[in-house]
Amino acid sequence: MESEKLKPPVSVSILILFALILLSLQLMSSATQESSELSAMYSWLLLINALGSVVLFVLVVANILALTRRLKKREAGSRLTTRMLSLFVLQALAPAAIVFYFSMQFLHQGIDSWFNVEIDRAMEDALELSQASLDQRMHWHLMQTRQLAEKLQLSSEGFSAHEIDNFRAQLGASEMTLFSRQGRIIASSSVNPADILPSIPDEEIWLQLRQSGDYIALAPVSENELMIRSIVTVKGLDTWYIQTLFPVPLRIADLADSVEFAFVRYQEMNFLRDSLKLTFSLALSLVLLMSLLAAIWVAFISIRHIVAPVKELVKGTQAVASGHYEQQLPVTAQDDLGFLVESFNIMTQRISGARDEIRQAGVEVENQRAYLETILANLTAGVISFDSNYKIRTANQAAFRIFHVHVNQFIGQSLLSLAQDHAELSEPLKSIQRLLEQADDIWQQRIAFLGPNGRQELLCRGTPMYSHEGARVGAVVVFDDVTDLIQAQKNAAWGEVARRLAHEIKNPLTPIQLSAERLQLKLSAKLEDGDADILQRSTRTIVQQVEAMKEMVDDFSEYAKTSKKQAVNIDLYALVQEVLGLYVLKSGVVVQAEQDKKRLGINGDPVSIRQVLHNLLKNALEATEGHGHIEVDMRRIQKNNGDFIELGFFDDGPGIKEEQIEQIFEPYVTTKAKGTGLGLAIVKKIVEEHGGAIWVDTRHKNGAGFIIHLPAI
Amino acid sequence: MRAFARHKALAFVLLWCGLLPAPVFAGSYAALVKSAELALQDGDYLLSAEIQYRLSPKATDALKNGIPLYWAVDIEITRRRDFGWNETIAEKNLRFKIQYQALLNVYRVRNEDSGEGGNFSSLASALEALSTIRYVPVLRKSALLEGEHYAAGLRVVFERERLPLPLRPFAYLNRQWYLSSGWYVWNLKN
Repeated sequence: MESEKLKPPVSVSILILFALILLSLQLMSSATQESSELSAMYSWLLLINALGSVVLFVLVVANILALTRRLKKREAGSRLTTRMLSLFVLQALAPAAIVFYFSMQFLHQGIDSWFNVEIDRAMEDALELSQASLDQRMHWHLMQTRQLAEKLQLSSEGFSAHEIDNFRAQLGASEMTLFSRQGRIIASSSVNPADILPSIPDEEIWLQLRQSGDYIALAPVSENELMIRSIVTVKGLDTWYIQTLFPVPLRIADLADSVEFAFVRYQEMNFLRDSLKLTFSLALSLVLLMSLLAAIWVAFISIRHIVAPVKELVKGTQAVASGHYEQQLPVTAQDDLGFLVESFNIMTQRISGARDEIRQAGVEVENQRAYLETILANLTAGVISFDSNYKIRTANQAAFRIFHVHVNQFIGQSLLSLAQDHAELSEPLKSIQRLLEQADDIWQQRIAFLGPNGRQELLCRGTPMYSHEGARVGAVVVFDDVTDLIQAQKNAAWGEVARRLAHEIKNPLTPIQLSAERLQLKLSAKLEDGDADILQRSTRTIVQQVEAMKEMVDDFSEYAKTSKKQAVNIDLYALVQEVLGLYVLKSGVVVQAEQDKKRLGINGDPVSIRQVLHNLLKNALEATEGHGHIEVDMRRIQKNNGDFIELGFFDDGPGIKEEQIEQIFEPYVTTKAKGTGLGLAIVKKIVEEHGGAIWVDTRHKNGAGFIIHLPAI
Repeated sequence: MRAFARHKALAFVLLWCGLLPAPVFAGSYAALVKSAELALQDGDYLLSAEIQYRLSPKATDALKNGIPLYWAVDIEITRRRDFGWNETIAEKNLRFKIQYQALLNVYRVRNEDSGEGGNFSSLASALEALSTIRYVPVLRKSALLEGEHYAAGLRVVFERERLPLPLRPFAYLNRQWYLSSGWYVWNLKN
């Protein structure tokens, strides 16, 4: 609506401008007509039109400069404006220039055609003819005056003033005057008696008269009246001058006047020919210049109106290109461009709608992903995904908890590079890597490694992932820490064994023992010495073996029991010293511990730990048969992001055979003749229950060596 | 931008208008006021002046081709003031026309106001006749106040606008048509 309100004034002002231009041009054109009243204003009109042209020129130049500046800035719509404008100017200029050229041609030829040699000649001839006719008449009157002068010369003695009237009447002159030599009037006669003062010749005439003696000339009396003045010298006693004035007949005077007027007019026109051509050319050029400049200026305005929506569209498109999809353009017209702008608006609306939808969908997907990630992160099972090159893609929080390694820092690397940095994981990781590369289906593997909290058992399940096309895109490995589970299973199994032993074996032992003692008691008196002796030995053997079996079963149930009953902070160094106190006399035991003994603290059940120390020391003593050399090392170490106390037991006994190393910690495995074979099993069980680990130090070659890691406090 | 263009156009117009009248007084063909005086006679101030008209070849040519030339002699009497503009108390214009008459081969001089004039067989004598102004009453003595200072000014203006139309624009552009004199100013003895 607003634009429609604005439109009419622009077009009206353009119309008014054109009307003004046309009016001033028309006025100038009318002024060139000689007879026009506007003729007096010609110079002003010319100046006004020239100024108008200058103003229009300045307007056009200013517009061109502005356009050039916009072109340099590569502003939207500037190139279209330039093209349209140059097209318009070319189309307007070409016909105008042609019309102008031919108009000039016709104008010059037309003006030239007014004049030609014949007319020139005729005009001059006509003037000459009238002059000749007048000359003849003058000559005739001069002759008459001379005759009269001769007559007067003869009768100068008796000349009376009265005679002059007769003379004048004889000659048919209108006035006759006789002057003395000094110019004094002697006698005068006029056809009109009212004329008292005769016409007096001026200085110039007198001068000529004195030189040549005669004077004859045409003298205009009034505008349309001519008079022939002839003066002749009268030579007598005194030199007199007689002046006669003859009227030229009115008809002849008129004719001469007419010829003169035409001649002068023609002469003037001829003289002004070039100026006239220039004037008309100037007027024509001004007309052309003004109309062209006005047209160009109007073209600027109208093109600006046409290009405005295009400019908006370009700006809008640029905005859309840079991501501003909400761009809406004002619809200024109901034409094709308006339709285009409307379509643009609809398009941007749709694009922004689609963009919003995509964004929303993206947000939803992201939420879903975040949710899944949260689930994965909070899973107790560790999850590591691999890409098609078996490089780690993701790893959840549980992976860190289980491996005690920041798997996230190895994203993009293979498991092998993880294994390089963490030696304790290298074996299990290599086997997982192998399975990843080889398995085509779901696989399952149990792996064990020595973690910071001791030995860890993991259950790994791997699944290779395939794309829809069947290509291998990676794999997922899920692993659970089943250390506790397995330990619990083992414990449960051994508990069951112990319970059965107690039940199945221990229960019959008492009746066996009692029966044997009873046999001894009842039969020893009845038997002879030899038989009684056999009986006594046999029953003693039975009782001893039953005692041994009882002891064995007790040991076993002891093993089956959980050891970490009440955990307290233990000063391990003091505990070792205390336990060694019991054995020190028997053997040369060397204890090596680091300086700061207070750092050697652990959290655990002191009874169980004491048993561990007892068992190991006893083993060592037994191995060295009480004469050997035993070394106990204690130090605090750091491993797998955790602090541990390392406890080493080394003796110089016969050592452990290599094939026994694997099962040495299993129950009922022993190298000794004596013993239940539970000593090391119990040690291992207690250590593991305390979150530690024990293994045979194979580097120690001079005898057996055990290393225990217990979590430090 | 458009405002700037408007300023530019205005400056251009002013420049044009300012420059145009500048050469009016200069030029080797301008008329010269040789002397002028106001003589008191019988309570009237009568003007007598001696003016030299100098016609350029172009003007002479135009005259010989029958184009009449017009001059105006402007006389102005002003009262001098210490502050503000001088007050004009009397003005008089004498207008003359000179034209060549082909038939009689004479130059006709005419006073446009009184219609007086004469025919002269040569251009020089015609101009000579024009050049002398004698005893033209300008104002009465009573118009002047005692104790005030008055100045008289006289100039000759060549009337370009009375030239034939095609010649007019060129009369402004060609120095040969700058025939007007400058102001000749003198103090009036009171």
